[in-house]
Parts: sequence; C-alpha cells; structure tokens
Amino acid sequence: MQKEAAIREPLILGHKTYHDITEDVCRPIEDKAPKTWYVLFGIALVIGLYGVGCILYLLGTGVGVWGLNKTIGWAWDITNFVWWVGIGHAGTLISAVLLLFRQKWRMAINRSAEAMTIFAVFMAGLFPLIHMGRLWLAYWVLPLPNQFGSLWVNFNSPLLWDVFAISTYLSVSLVFWYIGLIPDFATIRDRAKKPLAKKMYSIMAFGWSGRAKHWNRFELVSLVLAGLATPLVFSVHSIVSFDFATSVIPGWHTTIFPPYFVAGAVFSGFAMVQTLLLIMRKAMGLEAYIHTKHVEYMNIVIMVTGSIVGTAYITELFISWYSGVEYEAYAFINRATGPYWWAYWSMMTCNVISPQLMWIRKLRRSLLFTFFISIVVNIGMWFERYVIIVTSLHRDYLPSSWSMHYPSHIDIGVYVGTIGLFFVFFLLFARFFPVLALNEVKTILKGSGQSYKESPDYHNDHH
Amino acid sequence: MELNRKYWKGLEELKQTPEFIKHKEQEFPHLESVENFLSDEKLNESSTGRRDFLKFLGFSVAAATLAACEAPVTKAVPYVVKPENVTPGMPTWYASTYYDGNSYASILVKTREGRPIFIKGNKDYGVTKGGVNPQIIASVLGLYDSERLSSAVTKDGKSIAWFKADDAIKASLKSAKKVVFLSNSIISPSLSKAVDSLGASLNASAAGKFEHVTYDAVSYSAMREANLENFGEALIPNYDFSKAKTIVSVGADFLNAWLLSTEFAVQYGKTRNPDGEGMSKHFQFESVMSMTGSNADYRGMIKPSEQASVLAYLINKLGGSVAVPGKLSTPVQAVADKAVAELKKTKGSSVVVCGSNNKDLQLLTNYLNNLLGNYGTTIDINNPINLYKGNDAAANKLFADILSGKGPDVLIMHGVNPVYTHVNGEEIGKALGKIKLTVSTNAYADETASKCIYICPDHHGLETWMDYQPKSNHYAIAQPTIRPLGETASILESVLVWAGLAERGGKDSTVGYDYIKSTFEGMTGGDFAYATHNSAVDMSIVSKGLTFTVVKPKGNFPKSSDLEVVFYQKSAIGTGLHANNPWLQEMPDPMTKATWDNYITMNPVEMTKAGYATTYDQENGLSLAKVSVNGKEVTLPVYPLPGQALGTVGIAIGYGRGGNGEKIGKGAYQTKEYGGHVLNENGHPASIGANVFPMASVVGGNVLLSNEGKIEKVAGTYAIAATQIHHTVMGRNSVVRETTLDIYNAKSKESYNKPHLLQKLDENGHHVEVPVSEFDLWDAHPVEKIGHRWGMTVDLSSCIGCGACLIACQSENNVPVVGKDEVRRGREMHWLRIDRYFASDEEATIGTRKNKETFGYLDAEIAAENPKVVHMPMMCHHCNHAPCETVCPVAATTHSNEGLNQMAYNRCIGTRYCANNCPYKVRRFNWFNYPSYKKFTEINPAQDDLGRMVLNPDVTVRTRGVMEKCSFCVQRIQATKLNAKKEARPVIDGEFATACSDACPTNAIIVGDWNDFNSSVHKSSSDNRAYQALEEVGVKPNVWFKVKVRNEENDLLAKLQVEKKKEAHGGEHHGKETKAHH
Repeated sequence: MQKEAAIREPLILGHKTYHDITEDVCRPIEDKAPKTWYVLFGIALVIGLYGVGCILYLLGTGVGVWGLNKTIGWAWDITNFVWWVGIGHAGTLISAVLLLFRQKWRMAINRSAEAMTIFAVFMAGLFPLIHMGRLWLAYWVLPLPNQFGSLWVNFNSPLLWDVFAISTYLSVSLVFWYIGLIPDFATIRDRAKKPLAKKMYSIMAFGWSGRAKHWNRFELVSLVLAGLATPLVFSVHSIVSFDFATSVIPGWHTTIFPPYFVAGAVFSGFAMVQTLLLIMRKAMGLEAYIHTKHVEYMNIVIMVTGSIVGTAYITELFISWYSGVEYEAYAFINRATGPYWWAYWSMMTCNVISPQLMWIRKLRRSLLFTFFISIVVNIGMWFERYVIIVTSLHRDYLPSSWSMHYPSHIDIGVYVGTIGLFFVFFLLFARFFPVLALNEVKTILKGSGQSYKESPDYHNDHH
Repeated sequence: MELNRKYWKGLEELKQTPEFIKHKEQEFPHLESVENFLSDEKLNESSTGRRDFLKFLGFSVAAATLAACEAPVTKAVPYVVKPENVTPGMPTWYASTYYDGNSYASILVKTREGRPIFIKGNKDYGVTKGGVNPQIIASVLGLYDSERLSSAVTKDGKSIAWFKADDAIKASLKSAKKVVFLSNSIISPSLSKAVDSLGASLNASAAGKFEHVTYDAVSYSAMREANLENFGEALIPNYDFSKAKTIVSVGADFLNAWLLSTEFAVQYGKTRNPDGEGMSKHFQFESVMSMTGSNADYRGMIKPSEQASVLAYLINKLGGSVAVPGKLSTPVQAVADKAVAELKKTKGSSVVVCGSNNKDLQLLTNYLNNLLGNYGTTIDINNPINLYKGNDAAANKLFADILSGKGPDVLIMHGVNPVYTHVNGEEIGKALGKIKLTVSTNAYADETASKCIYICPDHHGLETWMDYQPKSNHYAIAQPTIRPLGETASILESVLVWAGLAERGGKDSTVGYDYIKSTFEGMTGGDFAYATHNSAVDMSIVSKGLTFTVVKPKGNFPKSSDLEVVFYQKSAIGTGLHANNPWLQEMPDPMTKATWDNYITMNPVEMTKAGYATTYDQENGLSLAKVSVNGKEVTLPVYPLPGQALGTVGIAIGYGRGGNGEKIGKGAYQTKEYGGHVLNENGHPASIGANVFPMASVVGGNVLLSNEGKIEKVAGTYAIAATQIHHTVMGRNSVVRETTLDIYNAKSKESYNKPHLLQKLDENGHHVEVPVSEFDLWDAHPVEKIGHRWGMTVDLSSCIGCGACLIACQSENNVPVVGKDEVRRGREMHWLRIDRYFASDEEATIGTRKNKETFGYLDAEIAAENPKVVHMPMMCHHCNHAPCETVCPVAATTHSNEGLNQMAYNRCIGTRYCANNCPYKVRRFNWFNYPSYKKFTEINPAQDDLGRMVLNPDVTVRTRGVMEKCSFCVQRIQATKLNAKKEARPVIDGEFATACSDACPTNAIIVGDWNDFNSSVHKSSSDNRAYQALEEVGVKPNVWFKVKVRNEENDLLAKLQVEKKKEAHGGEHHGKETKAHH
C-alpha cells in the first residue's frame, strides 16, 4: 500500500470511478469533434501549409531566400532548431526521469508531454535538413557504405553527433510513447463501434489482451526504456550545445553550455507543456486529472530550471570578464549593449526574472498567470538561442566582417509554419489518441483519488 | 539472371554447318537480310521470360532515373588539326601592352585553347614593371561583352557592310570643308602617323581642312601649359618616385589615377619597405580621402581652393617667394611644417606633385620642385610622358563650334565620349546631329557613338596589333591574343583606309601589323619578332637641354567657397570607361568599401552636425542629399568618409552611364531584386549612380574636377551595398599591428610585435610565460617538415589597397558576380578581400590602445576625423589546425599534406558550420545558383554564352549550396609541381605565384614553399615584423602578416611600445622568449 502524507493533495479530484476515467478519456475520441477543433485545425493547417510553401520555395531557390550572410551563416534556422529541441525535452524528462523517481503526478501529463516531444522533435529535425545548401545530399551525414571509396563521415564534427543524438532521442521517445499507448488503444478498440475505427485501433493495439503477463512485460519495458531514456535527457541537449561549445567563436566557445542548455531545455519544455495542457484540460474537460497541483509542480520545475539558467547567464558574464580574453569580453558587452541589446534584455527579462515570480505560492497556483508566464518563457527561450547564435556571430574576431542579421519573410514564414504544423500534429493527436494514459491513471485512483480519500476505508487505514 | 545459358548465333552454329564454318571469321557475314530475319515466325518462340523482362524493365527504369540526375553532357569537339602553340589544357602566355586612354601597362595575357582568360603585369619588360590596376586585369572580361558591337553600324543600330561605310566616309571627307579627328591621347606612333597622313592627304586638297584635336576625359592640360611656360615645351616630365625620399602630393592620387599610376605604384612600393634602403616619407594634402592619401605618413585635409596656400606656404618656407593666397588651418600647417623640415633635409631627392588641372597650381608645383632641385633627379624633363596630351583650349573651342553650329562637316571620334564626359555633354549630344557626318570608332553604341551616323567599332585591345610610346625612350607593342570575335576593324586600319592608303582586310587583315612593323623598324631598327616577344624595347633619348624659367602664377586659382565639391576617380571605375564591367562594379572601393554606386562623401563629423545618418547596414540606408553645382543637380546618398576635408564633399566620376537607352553592356545598369533591369522614368534601363562630369568647373580655360556648390538634405534613405559596415579595428592588436619607423629601427621585436604569451608550469613547477604557439590542443599537423608546405606573407607596409589582387583572384578563380542587392545583404563572393581599418580616437595607432583602462568600445567604433588607414588583404589562412575542418560533418573541407585547407565542392552539403567557425570569416557560401538563377542573368558573366568564355577551365564553377573560399590557387600549385616533375627538379622558389601575388604592384604578397627554408616566404615569415593574425586562437595559420611601419613621429606610440624591463633575477634569460617568474 502506498503511504502518503495526510496533507498531500489528491491527484485526481472529484469522485471519479474507474469507469469515469475511461469515459472521460475516450469521449473526445468517440464523439464528434467540436466545432472549435475544426476551427483550430483549419487555422493550424493553413499556417502549416504556408510554412510548407515557404520551405518549398527555399528548396527550389536556395538558402539565400533567408536573411543570412557571409558573417552570419546560421540565424533563425538553428535558433528554431534548438528551440524546438528544447521544447521536445520535457516529454522524456516527465516520462522517464519522473517515472524512475516514482512521481505519480506525471501520469496525468506524460502522454501529451510525450506527444509534444515527438512533434517538437519533428519540427526541430526539419531545420537542420532545410538549412543545408544541398538537402538532396543530406544522407551523406550518415555513415553509410558508399561508392566514393573510403569516404566516411567526420566523427569530429558536433553536427554529426547531433545527427546521432537527435535520431536516437526521437526513436527512443517514439517507442516509449507508443508502448504506453498500447493498453489505451486496446481499451478504445474494445469500445469502438465503427468497423474502421475498430480495425485501426486493433492494429495499433498490437493484440493487447490485458493479461497479467502483458502488464508485467509492459511495466518491465517501461522501466527499461525509462532507464535508456534518462541519459538521453541529458545527452541530447548537451550534444546540441556542443555545436557551439566546441567552436572557436567567442560567445559560443563556453564550457558551461551543456548543463546550461539542458536546464534551459527542461525550462522551455515545461513551459510548453503548461501552455498546451492549460488549454487542453479546459477544452477536453480534464480538469479533474490536470489541476492546480499539477500546474504547481510544473511551475516549481520551471522555477528551479529557470534559476539554473539565470545563474548560468550571470556566470557567463562573470567569466567573460574574469577570463581577460578580449574577444570573449567584447562578445558579452556587445550582447548587453550592442545593436542586439533588445534581444539580450528580452531574454534576461523573460528567462531570469519571470520564473522568480513562482516563489509566490499564489502566483504559481494561478492558472491564468501560469499560462502567461509559460508564453513568456517560450519567447524568452527563443531569444536565448537567437542571442547565442546571432549576437556571437555578428561581431566576432575581425571587425571588418561584422554584420547584422535581418530576417526575411521566408525566415518568418518557415518558423511560423512549423508552429502551425506542430499544432496540426497535436490536434490530430488530441482527436484520435487518448490524451491521458488512462490505464496508468487508474493505478493511482485508489491512492490519490479524492473519492478514495474521503471514503471510510482511507480513514480506517490510517488509524 | 538466367543469362548464363549458352546462345548460338543460329542453328548453323549449333549444327556447325560447312556454310557457318566458312563465314565464321567474317565480322559481317552476308547471310540473310534483316527483313527476312524479322519475318521469321520462329522468332516469337524465343521470347524473353516474364521475370527477365521485369528485371530488364526495373534496371532500365533505374538506369534512366540515375542518368536523369546527372547534369547534361556538353560535347567538346577536338581540333581536327592542332593549331600551333595551342595544347589543350596548357596555357599560352603572350606579352602585350594595355592602353585605354587612361591606364597604361605592359601586360602578360594568359590564353587557354585560344581564349584570353587572365591578365597580369609584365615584370620583366616595359616601364610599368609589373604594375597593373584592377581595370587592366578586369579588361579581359570586356572582351567577351555581348553588347560590344560586332560590325559597323549606322545611327539606327543596323549593321552595315564595312565597304559601304568606308565609301560614304571617304566621299564625305573629299567633299567636306572642315574635318576634325577628335581622339583621346594617342600614344601610338603608328596611329599618330596614320592620322597625320590622313590629315596630310586632306590638307593637300585644301589647307587647314583637317585638324586633329585631342580630348581627355580627365584633362592634364594645365600641366603641359605650365611646363610650356617653365621649359618652353608643353610636356609632362617623367617622375621617379622610387628615388624620392620625401613625397609631397597636393591632391594627386598618384597610386590610383594620376598620370602613369601603374608605374608610380611600383616605384612607390619600393620606397615603402622599412627593411630596404630607406623609407620615403609621404605627405598628402587632399580633400577626399584617396587611396594614395590613405597610405600617406602625414595627411592634411584641405579644400581644393587651399591647394595654392599649401604650395605657397611650402615655397615661402623653403626659400622661395610667392604671394600667399589665404592662411592654412592649424592642423594643416603642422603637417606642412613637418613637410618643410623633411624637404629641407632631402633636397634633390624629393618630389612634389599636384593633381589639379590648374595652370597656376602647376606653376607653383614646378617652382617648388625647381627650388628643391628635383629636376634631373626625381623628375626627368628629357624623357617626357606621352600620356594625356589633351588640350583643353583646342577641345573646348571645338565643342563651342559644334554647339554654335560652326562645327566641322566631318567629325571622326576615336576613344572619346564627350557626350558623357564633357561639361556640356548633353548639349553636345544634341548638336552632333547638325554635323554632316559623324563617325565614332568606339566599341559600344555609347552616349556619343549612338548619336553618330556611323560607328566603325575598333577591336578590343586583346584582338589587335598596336604600338605605344608611353615615354619618349620606350616603345611597346600590343599583340592580338585572339582572332577578332566580331566584324570589327582596327582603328589603325580604318584611318589608313579612309586616307586611301590601304584596303580592308577583314578579320585576318595584316594592314595594321604591316604598318606597325614598318613604324617599328623605322623608329628603332630592331628585330620586330624579338620586340613582340618581350612587348617592349627601350630607345635612346637625347637631352633637349631645356632649362627652367621661373614663372610666377597670376593668381587664377580655384575659387574658394563654403562648400567645395570634388570629383574624384575610384580605383575600379576610373572615368567610367569600364562601367559595364561587373567585376569592377562589384569591386569594393578601397576607401569606402561600397560597390555598384557613387555617392557623396562627407566627413562624419560634419554629417552628425547636419543630421545625416552616419551608420548603415543591409537594411538601414544612408541619407540622401542633393548637390547642386552650376545649376545642375544630383541626388545621391551621403557616405560617411572620415578624412574628408571639412567644407568639402566628394563625388566619384565614371557613374551614371548609358541611362538613355544606349547599349553599353548588360552589367552597366541597376538590377531588380528578382532579376531584370530597373527602368528609369524614360523606360530605359536605369544607370548606376549619377554622372557628375557636367559639374566640373572651367578655371583659366582648363577643366577642373572641383567646383563650388550647395548641398541640401533630401528626405529618404538609400541602401548602399558595402562589403564592410564597421570601420575600426576596435584596438585589437592581434588583428592589426603597426609601428613607426623610429621604433622599428631602434627597438626590439618585443616592443612593436609582441608575441602573445600564456603562463604555464614548467617541469620544476614554476610559472613561465611561453608564446601561445607552444600550446596545442592537437597533434602537430604532419606538414611541418615534410614535402611542401605552402605559405604566404602579406606586408601591411607595402599594401596600398588598390584591389588588383582582388580582381586577379576573381578572374583566376571564376568568382561569381552577385550584384548590388546581394552585396548589400552581405553576400559578396570575393575569395580575397581587403579589409580597411580607420584609426579611432581611442587608439594611439590602428590596433594599439591609448589607454587600456579607459578604452571605450563605443568610442572605438567611431573613426577619427582625419584617421590613419590600414589596408589588410584577407584570404583563407589555410590553418594547420583549421576550425572549419573539424566541424564539417561530411569532411568536405580537409587538410592536404602540403598544408592547404582544401574544399571538395562535390562533397559539400552546405551546413555553413565551417563559415561560422572561421575566425577570419573568409568562407563564401553559394546562396543561389549564380550561373543560372534569373536574379544574376544581367550581371553574371557565367550566364552569358560569350561571357562564359572568360572562365578559367582549371577551376570549377561552383553550384548552389556549396561553400567556397581561397584555395591558394591550388590549380597553379599543381601546374607548377607538374612542370617541375617533368623537368625532374624540385620546385624553385618564386616559380609558383597565386593570382593575388602575381597581380600585386608592390609585391606585398609573397607565396611559396615554407618548408624550403631558403624560400623568400620562409625568410619573410621569420623576420621581426611577421606576425599571425589572431594567433591566440591557436589555429596555426599558414599566412603571416607583417607589421605596418609608418614613417611618422608618434610619441604616444613610442611610450606604449616599450621593451620589457630587465628583471633582476631573470637576467640570463633575457632576450629569449621564455622568462621565468618565481
């Protein structure tokens, strides 16, 4: 029996039964979609298709349609890449790390967080591909046997490590997510009345029968995958940070980057989870499962990681002065006072100051405030990557090559388009997939459900 | 596949019939007709199996798909009979001579498969000693301009047979009352003779019927007039800057545009070597910061009207006496006083030049030179320069006659474009219609030629025989390097035909050749073949015994006004003759780094006061202003050029060409963002920049390129395409190092070229300071002592910033032209660029901070009012620990075992990571498909069938999406090595040169094998001035820079550049690079 402090708030509110949970989760899938879903899906699709159009124009014409130049070889492309990878970080942290730490509250959010991760990594993966001058040769980054003699990839290049890191992360996340979905698909399959839906869900359920043996294997695989995925949480963004940290560019060449990037990724990932879940709980009537307590927990994660990020920023500043390196010092002075001061101070405000407000209990329990801060953090984290990439490149060693970056409308179109595409995927997920791990949530109903706590059994147990 | 079964040719083979055995050995046995064979019913039985069919189908579809992915194969057809001297794949070099009315040089032309593709200076023969300017190198592209006229044409642009045009011209010549031959300065003895004989034939019928008028776009008439008064002969003497210890230039841009600048740059380079026999001291007084002024040791900012004051001040201080018109400002006087002191010390070995076309100023200059005893030492009156024979009085009289309708009946124009270059150009253009017969020999239907009744286009300089006499003692020959591309005719032949002395010979005409040969033999008596091989012969001269008569000026100096407008020549565009050359349009100006435009230069100090924008970038343009002079107005952006004299603005001539529908080349017009020409209000392609020739003033009968005017701010901004938007080096000593000659001579390397030291623990645990080069993250690259290791040194003292290297690199390496819009976006493709840094007030000199504690970054961004300048050529450093190499995911950029950092274009997937990680920012990315994308159709020679012929076949034309950069001209390295290998010998030092080092007029760039310890590059890289830019980054470059030495006094710098004090207990280590600290 699970022991729990008496003052702990229940994780499931209201007098939910096992059947209620099934009903609550399956209803959106089985019912007709509401009008708002179609409206949202329509908007997301239009934006997504505009992004696809921009990408096709880019691929047809050349990378020159972006606002890059001889000095600034990466700007919005890699900013967006790192931003999306960062967002894609929370899912695995929630599903793997919190699983290992037996944090039961994760069960309400892990499914959608994982879905978010996967879609975010899709979006992230798009950018390194389309930013290439010759996309059609992208497969050359894979160590494939080839007809060019003994020509091999360059194992020294952090970009190559990225290829491995991102693809590993994506595949593990995808498998983890799917394994969790299997029992839930089986539930939907069993309830499905339409033949096509029944057929589809039964294929996706992989013949799950709910036998004890299945559950045993399910638990085991989850645990193994959690063990596998946990190091990935730290490796992916560390490796992404190596793109910068191993370079010689002042502002990039910083040993603090790996931990700082990981913390930042968790920070932005949780913010995005907040943004999505606060809408979803309302839209899909899941207030009983995702409530203030969950939000508060996540806000605490945001506060902690935000503080780590803030410390990292200040450490960077200090070291740039303390190192006595001319270029390093100038890079940071320039960030704060140069032409891109507004980006730097946006970043500082959004990422350092705003999470500190979460120390106030009232604020971190306010859903409206949380939603606002989650957007602010996402903006701040986009600026962080922009500041790192563009302000470091635009004024590096030789003042003769100093330059400015202005985005073209294709830059903006591609970025906004990926947000549209992301929501296309997410809305499809919300429509056809169980957004809550319904079978897992049932396991905590007894221990942490409101109705159980109010039942006589609960009080008897404690006497 | 089931194909391993045995097949027979037929039953006959299976059965081995006697008939088969009989025919077995024959390849084509006449057995059965095809029709019979195909009609055989049995064939159907031997059909291919279904599975085999699918296999073949699959294979052929796959093969077709793969084949479709490949670029289409362009067939190359070999010669049936190999021409003499043409070996496919091997270049042939021809010695020749370049002259276009302004620039002159002895050149070497590289041809491949009969196509000239590269021009460089001839270092062995000719007066210019290898000196060339960007315009000369780029002229090879002009050969392949598809808008160059390819036949004689009439006014309406229709081709006309040569004989018809000739008959009409000859008839008019006969019946005319007055014939004028208007030309630029003809320095060809043969052409002069031919024109004279044309004149003689006409004058024979009626005396005074023929007149030859010489008119130069930029006139030096005043110099000749002054010398006429001083020496009795209207000549321009020969200058020798290499003998000058003190050089004083008053507004003469003698390294860039003034007189025989190609030769002067070479001479000047020799005197700027701090390790040589003595470094000259160079004083420059000027209005616009010129390339020459940027190299001066001392520079005074004066208005054009103050030139007289400066010269008079110098004269009076040096013992002469003239009336002083006006006073000098304090800073200018300080410079002038220093100049006086130097001139006193170096009497007889100094030179004073004045760039003004004002007779009184030239009289003052001559007076000063005579006072200093420079005639006979640095200035040779006996060997005059023949360039710029233009006579303002004669030319202006002619134009006045034309305008008033009293002009000649026949006007033949050669090499002139007065409609564009003359003050009254527009009116002259209209008045040309009044003349019965106008003929132009220009190669394009330009502003003047398009208004002529006949255009009889001259050959391009690379297509024709010609001879030149740039100086009295020198005879040079230009030989054709290609058969004329179009039906053009040499001017020499045309003149002879019109004089009735020759018949047209068509493309393979020998008229010009025969005529020149006879001229040559008459003048020198030498061997023509031998002279042609060298392109030049020297002749003896006799002293004319001219003596100097002091003539005091009458005070007809340029007028003073609140705002004086100065018209100057840019290094790339000059007088606008090559305005259609996209290489030159895209060449960053040495001072402003702006391309594809002219603009108003103004001192940023004045601009701030007047509220003009002083910064610009790709999106933020410069403020517009309207300059009105003579009632003529131009609206142009105002460029913040430090060093511009207060109260003056500068505007470059040579722009604003061809805006009235003339066809002067596709590259001569503004292009739109997505390709095509911008059209002006008249529906014609809009010209680049504005023409300011009409704003010139006439003082004392001479056309002066300055005038009084007004400037007025106009609403709006204008995007400027500059390759550099930041102007100072921010006190970064490891980028630019500079010292003075005194410090360099007196102190050790440590004071002015301090190695970057880092601390480490030695084996005893003591802290020691060692040079950064001893720290290494990586294993040493295995090129250090084995085989070749190609290296380069760039001497910042010698580099004058002319840009010849840049154009040579572009020409050699097929560097794409990207146009104004792309340059503005910071995407020019130049493999070699010249960084130009101005000093700020925070710096004692460029790269050295006045005070490390109070150094302010924001102030350091602002250039001083009259700053020092350094030009720093920047190209790939071929780092032995190249940061670009480690980051490429596909190993597309790797290190060769000869120390080169090489790009495998085919392997590049275009992540641009290498470019980001390059500390020198020299990598260039192909943002678009320059050889085919529509945006570049008008400007990129590679998109034009004819223009493509200029491409160097040894260098790949890069496709979209790949990175490119300087390769150290690896194709030349390979060719050199192959040559050496064929001759079974090692590569000799100096045998290999990159395009840039080949082109450099001052030998600032030295390349060679660094592993050869006796090579000049190795020696140069190990002397005291050598340093590596950004050494502390640890990338171990194979390029060394050499500290710039300025011949100036700089007390502040002397205090800062000190040697370390001897330490009490570290005495025995003193002088070594490592020092112990306990």
